[in-house]
Amino acid sequence: MDGKSIFDELKEKGVSRREFIKLSGAIAGAIGLTSFPSVEAQAGTSARFPRAYQPAQLVAKALASKPRIPVIWLEFQDCAGCSEALTRSESPTLVNLVLNMISIEYHETLSAAAGFQVEEAKRAAMEKYAGQYLLVVEGSVSPKDGGIYCSIGGRSSVDILEEAAAGAAAVIATGTCATFGGLPKAKPNPTGAVSVMGLIKDKPVINISGCPAIPEVFTGVVAHYLVFGTLPALDSLNRPTIFYGNTIHDRCLRRPFYEAGKFASSFDDEGARQGWCLYKLGCKGPTTYNACATLKWSGGLSFPVQSGHPCLGCSQPDFWDGGGFYQGQSAPLSKPAGTLGAMAAGAGVVLGVGSALANKQQKKNAKKSEPGEKGGSHELE
Amino acid sequence: MNWNDVLSFARGPLFQAALLIFIAGMLYRLVRVIGLGWSRNHVRPKKSQTKGVVMSYLKGILIWPFVPWVKNTFTKNPIIYLAGGLFHLGLFVILVLGTAHMLVWKSLLGFGWKTLPLPIVDWFAAATIVAMVVLFINRLINPVLKLLTGTAEWLNLLFVFVPMLTGYIMTHHLFFQYEVLFSIHMLSVDFLLIWIPFSRISHFVFYFFSKSIHGQEFAKHGVRA
Repeated sequence: MDGKSIFDELKEKGVSRREFIKLSGAIAGAIGLTSFPSVEAQAGTSARFPRAYQPAQLVAKALASKPRIPVIWLEFQDCAGCSEALTRSESPTLVNLVLNMISIEYHETLSAAAGFQVEEAKRAAMEKYAGQYLLVVEGSVSPKDGGIYCSIGGRSSVDILEEAAAGAAAVIATGTCATFGGLPKAKPNPTGAVSVMGLIKDKPVINISGCPAIPEVFTGVVAHYLVFGTLPALDSLNRPTIFYGNTIHDRCLRRPFYEAGKFASSFDDEGARQGWCLYKLGCKGPTTYNACATLKWSGGLSFPVQSGHPCLGCSQPDFWDGGGFYQGQSAPLSKPAGTLGAMAAGAGVVLGVGSALANKQQKKNAKKSEPGEKGGSHELE
Repeated sequence: MNWNDVLSFARGPLFQAALLIFIAGMLYRLVRVIGLGWSRNHVRPKKSQTKGVVMSYLKGILIWPFVPWVKNTFTKNPIIYLAGGLFHLGLFVILVLGTAHMLVWKSLLGFGWKTLPLPIVDWFAAATIVAMVVLFINRLINPVLKLLTGTAEWLNLLFVFVPMLTGYIMTHHLFFQYEVLFSIHMLSVDFLLIWIPFSRISHFVFYFFSKSIHGQEFAKHGVRA
């Protein structure tokens, strides 16, 4: 920190100029920069801006002029899986170097210090970088019963979050627990878990959903914030559209089999061995927006559908309650309980019998009053 | 409004409620009709009534235009004959032999079955949609049908047409987001389920009653002397 630019710090670590330019290009690619202004926007102005800003150039400029972004990372009702995914990412060149662009001032899992000392360090960081730091939240917040179900250092998660969010430039909710409530919010939601955006209304909240969130998506958002000083464009659920603009199904490598109607019917049949579509095995790809199918995991090695498991829809709200994981997506979320069905059937039969008796009585009365009339089947429908 | 929430509602509580109303409503209608009773034979009929019922069903199945008793119907009403037939066939194929729908049955009944390849079901769906459009136009311009058509008949068409169309577009991932189409598909199916017991679409059950009754009545051929 201390006014040093990111490039200066990288130089001190022995990163050469060539490596730095390569990094800039990689980051530009990660956040989907083509050229800035875009080719479309340049149309007609090509004489004045022949090749305006090349993406790598733009990123390099930002890295060379801006200091590292201070980050405070809070964990509430979570499994630390998002932190694990980020720190153990298999693409060290990109993720580690992007992590060089931020300075994590507080992180429960990663901090060497503990207890009062680390809480004090957090307070100091919040004062020093008031209005500048990025607040990253992992895990859902529990306001129920005075917040007793999730407290750190004797304070409830709601208190801690509200205090930290007050001085933040922006809030990044990472992982489905923080973005939509995730597992803690699954029925019956014993801790009354809520998402970050359900609680923080006065700050920009950007959601990076997924269980865990894709590390490259997190770093992409941070890189975007660093380069442009703004958050990327968001969809209706506050997720960056560059990563959540398409469904898994849209970009799925098994899509041709879906189009051809070739489905695996079990995890061990011929279809599964041939790599056919996993729709019948409960794939939620058609309604799940995430970048798994393009960025993939473990350094672009694979992603669940590729390795033979249907998409669980982990980046969508309430995915735990979205029907069985291995039940086809077309199936109803739940079928009526047997007793309810029996009650409905009983009600129908009782009504029917009542109506039939009334009809019979009517017929009898009609016969009495008109002796010539014969009962026929004309009432049949 | 978030389409994910709409979809969960349409696939969850609303579908459950619709299904319960459907079950209660259909049983009510069924019991009521059975309660009307069959007319008793005061004398023994000349011919077998059982045979009459069997023949009645056979005639209902053998509906090819070259069969003598169908020829007349076909030449007089080719549009209704072709479009109507195609529509019913397509509907059966889609609902029973389409993979996505088989999974619905599987979740409700607990067992599944082999389905037709998607491209084949797809052609049936396309043909069914065309048939529905033809029937719709026919209903609009045919002077006799015009007299017989009221709000209920238009609602019948609407509630069957919307799921059909959204299902087709959805399978091909066209025009709209998948969850939007899925939501509309499920919402319209929910309304259809609620609507069926109160409408003529209930003929999918009562057709068999009229076939049986007509079969046994027409088979009498007078009385046995």
